[in-house]
Amino acid sequence: MDDIRYAERVVSAAEVKIAASRVQVFYGLNHALKDVDVEILGKTVTAFIGPSGCGKSTFLRCLNRMNDTIPGCRIEGRITLDGHDIYDPRVDPVQLRAKVGMVFQKPNPFPKSIYDNVAYGPRIHGLARSKAEIDEIVETALRRAALWEEVKDRLAAPGTGLSGGQQQRLCIARAIATSPEVLLMDEPCSALDPIATAQIEELIDELRTQFSVVIVTHSMQQAARVSQRTAFFHLGRLVEYGETGQIFTNPHDPRTESYISGRIG
Amino acid sequence: MSLGILVLAVLILAAAGFLAGRRRAISSAGGDPRRLHSLPGHYGQFAALLTAVPALALLAVWLMAQPMVIEQRVASLLPAGDASTSSLVMADVRRISTGLQRLAVTDGLSPRDVAGLSPEGLAPRLRAVGVAVTSMGPETLAAARAHRDLQDRLGFWMVVSVLATSAAGLGLALARIRPDFRARNTTERFVMVILIAASLVAVATTVGIVMSLLFETMNFFRLYPAQDFFLSLTWNPQFRGGSDLGIWPLLWGTMYISFIALLVAVPIGLLTAIYLAEYAGARARSWAKPAIEILAGIPTIVYGLFALVTVGPALRDWFAQPLGLGASSSSVMTAGLVMGIMLIPFISSLSDDIINAVPQSLRDGSYGLGATHSETVKQVILPAALPGIVGAILLGASRAIGETMIVVLGAGAAAKLSLNPFEAMTTVTVKIVSQLTGDTEFASPETLVAFALGLTLFAITLVLNVIALFIVRKYREQYE
Ligand SMILES: Nc1ncnc2c1ncn2[C@@H]1O[C@H](COP(=O)(O)OP(=O)(O)OP(=O)(O)O)[C@@H](O)[C@H]1O
Ligand SMILES: [Mg+2]
Repeated sequence: MDDIRYAERVVSAAEVKIAASRVQVFYGLNHALKDVDVEILGKTVTAFIGPSGCGKSTFLRCLNRMNDTIPGCRIEGRITLDGHDIYDPRVDPVQLRAKVGMVFQKPNPFPKSIYDNVAYGPRIHGLARSKAEIDEIVETALRRAALWEEVKDRLAAPGTGLSGGQQQRLCIARAIATSPEVLLMDEPCSALDPIATAQIEELIDELRTQFSVVIVTHSMQQAARVSQRTAFFHLGRLVEYGETGQIFTNPHDPRTESYISGRIG
Repeated sequence: MSLGILVLAVLILAAAGFLAGRRRAISSAGGDPRRLHSLPGHYGQFAALLTAVPALALLAVWLMAQPMVIEQRVASLLPAGDASTSSLVMADVRRISTGLQRLAVTDGLSPRDVAGLSPEGLAPRLRAVGVAVTSMGPETLAAARAHRDLQDRLGFWMVVSVLATSAAGLGLALARIRPDFRARNTTERFVMVILIAASLVAVATTVGIVMSLLFETMNFFRLYPAQDFFLSLTWNPQFRGGSDLGIWPLLWGTMYISFIALLVAVPIGLLTAIYLAEYAGARARSWAKPAIEILAGIPTIVYGLFALVTVGPALRDWFAQPLGLGASSSSVMTAGLVMGIMLIPFISSLSDDIINAVPQSLRDGSYGLGATHSETVKQVILPAALPGIVGAILLGASRAIGETMIVVLGAGAAAKLSLNPFEAMTTVTVKIVSQLTGDTEFASPETLVAFALGLTLFAITLVLNVIALFIVRKYREQYE
């Protein structure tokens, strides 16, 4: 545990951005998430950790209603964004997803050029008035995702032609170009080398000044490095949620302790 | 021995070979199958394949070659004549030969009796066993006897040699079985050869079709100048000779009708596919999909009737006559519309499959950025599916080009170069049919032109299909 470098724990704004209470998720008959209560704070990085198949991605997808697109998926409980219930029938999931962006576990660039991939969000949301503005948004997003240097000469090349790690960074750039209020990242560094990982972690830390970031990760070190809050999931339940330092140094639950010390998972 | 029994005998021998091969493999390994290179069953398979396949292949070749050999021998017994009479005489020889065999069976004649039969009074006896003969002279009878004789002898040798090959294969296989013999690899290779041979049949047939077209087309161009065929703008066949056989009026009709058909089928088919793949719920899909497939199963002649009795008159009464564009119920528009309806299910079910093949992760990516359903369809799914859809459209186009029945009944048979869609026109396929119906020989340019037309059509659809396959293949690579 000594080699883990802890991120700065000062949480500047402590207002609750997303609050989930008693969330249940069913895939058909499979009860995938049971009684999850979490409060995600604004301008904070929250890490979700837990063994494979414990429901981290499932919960993440609840937060921007991506589960709506899965047939047979049913959600109970209440999730609010800035105090408004996001499962209220009056809420438009399309608008919600513009505010709560997502980077998926598997890179999924569109079969378009690199440029068009990043410009996709700004274009559909009308974030730019001129070509020059879009150019700027694209360049900034690619720079922040640490991809600009590699692709600046081939912005017109198809995004699907990039390497796996580059595709992952392209998807990150695509998500931040839309300037969401909350960014959900499902294992954003799973295909990245240590250098790119460090750059993405730097980006996440920087994003914290503007929005909330929720990151799913299998790396304890990464969770410890970038997050201020950590939630530990196990078998569809939220076992423990608290300040990252506390979770890693002084977990209350024996299951959390065994997981972070490598005994379960 | 009849053919069926011969094949059965070979198969029984192969089954025996399987058992013997397996037994021998196990005993050669001293009863311990683990000492064998392959599973005991592989040795059995090896023996069975070697018993059956060469023997059956020999049988197939023999059956194809035998009639040719016999006819060549028999032809030398007949008086020489020109090609068509000697082929008629040969047909008689074959019939008499069959009749002689039947007579021998029904009347219990010995070979000596058959040899002693005289031409007089034979014809009625042959008719009694169901063989009608037109000419019956001493030469034909002699030739028929020789034919019968050769057939019997060759048939006997066929049975002998097929069984011998089979037995030899079995013996060879058993001799080769030893514990270190790689039966599995050999069987695999054997199976591969059989598969290749099977696919060669399809390829060979295609080559055969093209060659026969090519051959007749060359005959045509010997009688009719190629530049007139490809460049002349009139189509006016005269069965007394001196016809104009320019392809352009027909090609124009084909293109015009196909174009209208695609104009109808592509938008409707594509929108249907988008609805089915992206918007329809499971319930709507479960009835809409089969309904569309039924549409695809309707024979084109039925569509033709629909064009003839419903669409054609309706178009004439509601559009062509009021607008002063024509008074014919057969028109390019009629055929094009109905053909378009025929193509809708084709385009929509192909496009539906292609849209469904677009990975869900792309949809998720788009929704995750806050795109609406229609933005996702327009900007992500359709571009991703576009190459496949283009392929589907090209395949649809080549079907439209080859369609005949709807055109006959919907567009008429008048070859014309006109822009008016309410005028009767015709297509290449229709003219191929009409040039070949009637009992003229394949010797005048008026009939041979059908082959040149067919070859042109074949070339056009081939190019379209190759482009379509190429595009579809490129599209597949994208997600693999
Ligand atoms: N689309 C789906 N349909 C049905 N069941 C699903 C679906 N997605 C996930 N599940 C189930 O829900 C449970 C939680 O899956 P989830 O993907 O959330 O796990 P995870 O914690 O993200 O795992 P990993 O770390 O491997 O990504 C699993 O048991 C899984 O089988
Ligand atoms: Mg996951």
